[in-house]
Amino acid sequence: MRGTRAHASGSYAVLVVGAVLAIFPVLYMVSTSLKPISEILSGGTPTLLPREFTLAPYLAVFQHYPVGTYLANSIVTAGASTLVAIIFAALAGYGFSRFTFRGKSSLLLFILATQMFPSVMLFIPYYKLLGTYGLSNTLTGLVLVYTATVIPFCTWMMYGYFDGIPHELDEAAELDGCGRFRTFVSVVAPLTVPGLVSTAIYSFVTGWNEYMFTALFTSSESKKTLSVAIGQMAGFDSVMWNELMAASVMSSVPLIVIFIFLQRYFISGMTQGSIKG
Amino acid sequence: MTSALVTRRHSWRSRLTAYPFVTPATLTLFALVLYPFLYGIYVGFFKTNLINRWEFVGLHNYMIVLGGADFWRSLGTTALFTAGVVAGHFVIGFVLAHLLNKEIRGRTFFRVVLLLPWLFPEVVVANIYKWILHPSNGILNAWLRDLGIIDKPMSWLGSPTFALPMVTLICIWKGYALVMLQILAGLQTVSRELQEAAHMDGANAWQSFWHVTLPGLKPTLIVALVLDTLWWFKHVTVIWLLTQGGPGTSTTTIAVDIYKRAFEYFDFGPASALAVIVFLICLGINFAYQRGLNNERD
Repeated sequence: MRGTRAHASGSYAVLVVGAVLAIFPVLYMVSTSLKPISEILSGGTPTLLPREFTLAPYLAVFQHYPVGTYLANSIVTAGASTLVAIIFAALAGYGFSRFTFRGKSSLLLFILATQMFPSVMLFIPYYKLLGTYGLSNTLTGLVLVYTATVIPFCTWMMYGYFDGIPHELDEAAELDGCGRFRTFVSVVAPLTVPGLVSTAIYSFVTGWNEYMFTALFTSSESKKTLSVAIGQMAGFDSVMWNELMAASVMSSVPLIVIFIFLQRYFISGMTQGSIKG
Repeated sequence: MTSALVTRRHSWRSRLTAYPFVTPATLTLFALVLYPFLYGIYVGFFKTNLINRWEFVGLHNYMIVLGGADFWRSLGTTALFTAGVVAGHFVIGFVLAHLLNKEIRGRTFFRVVLLLPWLFPEVVVANIYKWILHPSNGILNAWLRDLGIIDKPMSWLGSPTFALPMVTLICIWKGYALVMLQILAGLQTVSRELQEAAHMDGANAWQSFWHVTLPGLKPTLIVALVLDTLWWFKHVTVIWLLTQGGPGTSTTTIAVDIYKRAFEYFDFGPASALAVIVFLICLGINFAYQRGLNNERD
């Protein structure tokens, strides 16, 4: 009995240390974003909580940068690419899981192979080709690139989720007179809601976070996403760290909110054995 | 006879109904992934500025890239970085997944908190650590100074000795959560009955872990290992934002090198050639893992 208790407190000790290491940098970001610049540059040991709380860094970010535009660009590009990717990936995942057809194994192999392309390898072609089609520095171009980035893995994930649902269900639905498409939409797809949510979160987070290509591709302020704006702010000669942390908090909040609302689905989706070999 | 007919009709129908489902994704993949990919290979055979200068040079770019000392140096850096990050992810991911799989109080809380690092944008992660490690105002230097460990502020990301270890640690922090989640998913599929049976047969915790849990977990571990290795082998963003590959070349991984060649020096040909080489290395890594897995099975 004593052994078990010692064991349990050992487990807690490790979990607590892990949780502190996971959350400390995040809390320190929030704390810095609430400190006045004088406190940051004072040279003394930084305190974990601000000695003087201020919201000035947040106001300054709004005054100095078109945050609304950045935010809108991030939402539109990540959202649109997620919508396209999730619909196409769900359809294809269902198709791969339920049917055999010519070229199926080559397609699946190709999807796996895309995971081995260095993303930078595609930057050069994207840069050139989107320019050729007049899409440089447009949100449409970004949506295309984000969609291309996530669609292989989304398809693979959805394939896994659909494969986990018994095929007998389709047969039963068909006997009841459902066509293939109806079976998909109203019988099978609703059962993979956790899978759809996990895939959508993956896609949205990837689009929201994309930095390297977007930074190259967007030359005007009006097309920048939050990630790019914040990454570039950090490269300025005199960085206002409290403002930078405030902007970083702002760009993380939407992801955290989405996650808090959907974490139940997300974790059950991820733990359904979705990522399969 | 009848059954053959049914099968044939079934597969014909099956084929026909499959196309509406898979066509949108397939066309997207062809237009937005396969075509650019082939175009990238094509660029690798030219000396080009991508606009008006296209001089076919055959394998010359490959020779430039493979002949330079940079290639082997950046390959070594990439190997160190990837090995460090993946090892870190698996040790931390395994321990935490194992603990989260227990019936303990506050499990949901820990699961959410421990997932946090994965959720933060890479740009934000880079900014946070640049600030924590800041030479003059960073909290790490202040603490180390207060503890008497250092007497002069250290520029962690500006030091040829510490930059790579620091970047590696930061990427471990950023990415362990996904591995943890994958292993947790795997642990939950390992049969509880089998573990109980092992327990009844007098196996201790270690034996049942070694002989029951680990073999059941192997497929998950292999997939997670392959994906994690490939992801971090090709990774650019966090490294680029933290150090731009510096100081000197101390954090220049191959992926960073490709990016620099292409978008700082505009050497698109050699950059594309190097990208093709990275792709082939990734195929090789994948192949090696699969071989390893199959040998285990036999």
